[in-house]
Amino acid sequence: MAAIIGKIRPVPDRRVVLFLAAVFAVGAIGTRGQSVQTNDTPEPGARSPRNANYDIDVRLDHAARTLSGRQMIRWRNTSAKPTSELQFHLYWNAWRNADSTWLRERKMTRSYTAPPRDGWGAMDVSSVRLHEPSGSTRDLTSHMHFIAPDDGNALDRTVMAVPLGRSVEPNETIQVELAWTSTIPRPVARTGYVEDFYFIAQWFPKLGVLEDSGWNTHQFHAPTEFYADFGVYDVRITVPSPFIVGATGRRTARMDNSDGTTTYRYHEEDVHDFAWTASPDYIDLARTFTHPTLPPVEIRVLLQPEHRGQAERYFAATEAVLKRYGEWFGPYPYGHATVVDPAFQSQADGMEYPTFFTGRARYLPSRTRQTPEMTVAHETGHQWWYGMVGTNEFEHAWMDEGINTYLTARVVDEAFTDNRWELRYFGGHVPWSFPDIAFTRLDNDRMAGYRDNPEADVQATPTFRYWPSTASTMSYNKTALWLHTLERHLGWPVMQRIMATFFQRWAFKHPQPADFFRIVNEVSGQDLTWFFDQVYRSSNTFDYGVQDLVSERRDEGTYRTTVIVRRYGEATFPVDVLTTFADGHEITEKWNGIDRRAIYVYDRTSRAAHVQVDSRRVLLLDTAYTNNSRTLEPRSGDASLGWAARWMGWLQDLMVTYAFFL
Amino acid sequence: MRSFSEGWARLRSAPALLVGVYAMTVVLALPLAITMRGLLQAHLGASLAAEGAANGVNYDWWQEFTSQATGLGTTFSPTIIGFAATLDNISSVLDGQRENAPIAGALALYLLAWTFLLGGIIDRYARQRPIRAAGFFAASGVHVFRLLRLAIVSGLVYWWLFAYVHPWLFLEWFADRTRTMSVERDVFFSRVVLYVLFGALLVVVNVIFDYAKIRIVVEDRRSALGALSAAIRFVWRQRGRVASLYALNGLAFLIVIAVWALVAPGARAGGAALWLGFLATQLYVLARLALKLQFLASETALFQSRLAHASYAATPVPAWPDSPSAELIRTSSR
Repeated sequence: MAAIIGKIRPVPDRRVVLFLAAVFAVGAIGTRGQSVQTNDTPEPGARSPRNANYDIDVRLDHAARTLSGRQMIRWRNTSAKPTSELQFHLYWNAWRNADSTWLRERKMTRSYTAPPRDGWGAMDVSSVRLHEPSGSTRDLTSHMHFIAPDDGNALDRTVMAVPLGRSVEPNETIQVELAWTSTIPRPVARTGYVEDFYFIAQWFPKLGVLEDSGWNTHQFHAPTEFYADFGVYDVRITVPSPFIVGATGRRTARMDNSDGTTTYRYHEEDVHDFAWTASPDYIDLARTFTHPTLPPVEIRVLLQPEHRGQAERYFAATEAVLKRYGEWFGPYPYGHATVVDPAFQSQADGMEYPTFFTGRARYLPSRTRQTPEMTVAHETGHQWWYGMVGTNEFEHAWMDEGINTYLTARVVDEAFTDNRWELRYFGGHVPWSFPDIAFTRLDNDRMAGYRDNPEADVQATPTFRYWPSTASTMSYNKTALWLHTLERHLGWPVMQRIMATFFQRWAFKHPQPADFFRIVNEVSGQDLTWFFDQVYRSSNTFDYGVQDLVSERRDEGTYRTTVIVRRYGEATFPVDVLTTFADGHEITEKWNGIDRRAIYVYDRTSRAAHVQVDSRRVLLLDTAYTNNSRTLEPRSGDASLGWAARWMGWLQDLMVTYAFFL
Repeated sequence: MRSFSEGWARLRSAPALLVGVYAMTVVLALPLAITMRGLLQAHLGASLAAEGAANGVNYDWWQEFTSQATGLGTTFSPTIIGFAATLDNISSVLDGQRENAPIAGALALYLLAWTFLLGGIIDRYARQRPIRAAGFFAASGVHVFRLLRLAIVSGLVYWWLFAYVHPWLFLEWFADRTRTMSVERDVFFSRVVLYVLFGALLVVVNVIFDYAKIRIVVEDRRSALGALSAAIRFVWRQRGRVASLYALNGLAFLIVIAVWALVAPGARAGGAALWLGFLATQLYVLARLALKLQFLASETALFQSRLAHASYAATPVPAWPDSPSAELIRTSSR
């Protein structure tokens, strides 16, 4: 198997540099030339439509903390209707002023802190030029203006419209050239800089998606991520030479410049975004993932020096997902992946970009498997849903985040068996692991978070309209729980086929929720619309419980046992009712769960011991599970006594700690 | 070192004091523990979830309970298990975290009870002879209002430290200095430096008020401010000895904490193991209380070894309970 190789990038041979420079120059001329295609159908074998292709040159000014860029976009109208304008996301303008929609929404959350004085970011487009098929160019700079399609916020500058002055017909391709400069923010929303560490994401003017109904270009919202068309990215990044760079795609060239900078060229096909990082401090490690039936993947880990000892954990988590997702749903096709261990306080941890994602590690790591394993596994898993299926995260974030939370919880449960809870003390720096408390798959399904806000929103509401402080509960937690419920209802083999069919049928095609539901019904052979009506189209909650259990001795020496089970919540789900008798005999009833109550009466020679509703815990959305059972020999006295005794020990410790002040 | 060992000797010679403060800790913790038990029992009801909770950890039920809990119930978190409780409590003090209202009430009552007992405790250690319960409580009664006045002053000083100095250090200075750091190790060590700095401030204040209490009792002082001023003078003039003694006692505290970290019980088992764990916790609480008394006893010993003679004593009152210094003068004059 592969080994970890610490790589120090060699200074290239002078001849190699000259050759690369020549190739580079030719490439640059090619991309900036005026030979414009009008029909840009993807080449045979392309995985995606490749209708939004970017050639970008960007330079990092480390002293000024700015980016300056120039990009050529080759875009094909894949919708059924013509358009006469282009719409661009300018994400970094979310931190241009305090009245952006992103910041207005962020203020509604509990975790909001105002950006520091020197923390603001911005993106300014200085030029927009349309390259006509005739070879002429038209300057559209004066026509560009900001729009706010979601909330009409005139102070929000995260969406820019550019009237073209002519229409672009379906399947017609145009080329647009933009020049821009950006102020890099202090870390915010997984982008920015801290000291010499840069994580640059959502960083270039990026086209929205033209659908048959028009442009789908949402403003940047606090609870949402992104949506874009697939294409080919060819990006040249110029940074000070000591910096080590990692990015989406495969590095195809490197050129040392005379001004103390180095230009790296990255290329990737069939992706819908591009992000990169630069830091002089990275430890650059590599390993190749191999598998008997899956294509090899070169994994590159860019590690912070203070996390030197955690490299193996990064590789193991990445490989765990490459293996299982590959076996379950389909192979990872890109052949390489770059995993970034972000710097402390960079806020870049736990984020996904095509072929490039971030983990999370701490200086004092815990013995548990949550960090970095869970994070790395989760972000690796995004490569299938966010990366390849490419759903609209502005509107249906659950289709990526929720599906991926559900599945990576399964991976972690299988691959890392010694998961334990931990808490952190002393400002969050010192971990303490609880060997007695297992961190279960349900915990990775984020049940606790859902339990706190189960009715926060109807999941079918477009994500950008979710209440900002509970949006993740709907997107991640609820989805993971209802998918896991579905798995327990249908069985993993069926669920695996569902997810595999969804991935294989809809990769690179931007599916909608209905497409997913249709596949669930098709593969399971059941009409599960009733289930989706409840979990997706309503905010009703599930709560089944035992109302009463009575087992009385009768004259003839038998016991009459009466079981009353009840639906306390508004939502319905079929559940089993398991009654266990003192002689060990069990009776299971199938209750459709629709009526408010069901009553079962048994005459048996043995007294009842206990009864359970949903004894196999299929319905994970029933977060009040304590009332799902009742026993005639309750042990709540023992349990509460033991735990109150432990709690008293904690209180006494607190008291003697405070005795210091006397 | 002599005062340190002298402190241990005085501590050992008055085991009833340790038993007494332990009983007080139990008595004040027990009603809240009973309340907590009621909350847990009510939530578990006749559920089978209690089976898992009785035999170890049923964390699914636990999370369900805490998601619905209010008030006292919100303090029922995994941090109560074993050594995590100690980490949590020290960390919450050093991080200036506020306690939940019922807990804060219990703590206030506990500190008040300590304030009442302090006069008797120091009096007993200073006299170095049995004074019986009547003598102990009489001494406590004589000094309680003086010590309360001192407690108000110390409370104000600690409040100022936690309300102004702590936020300035940890929320402003620390945040401003570390927000641009990209290496957690550096941020962590900056925080450790602040803990040491703030801890040193707490220790200085603690030492001064310890000797102020001792001077109130040993010298039969009535003025809290006078005792405070005298304590400052004493601590300053005897700074080497005072610091060494505090360091020795601090070391003993660290040893107790380290041993507890190794032996603190987990939560896996129920039954006899649970109660063995509870017993271990009570022994640890006893050890912590013994340390608290050792601080007082050894500091009293140091004070008496340096200054407890007639010229520093308050005017002796002929009726019992007279001041330990007056008693000393009388005894030595025979």
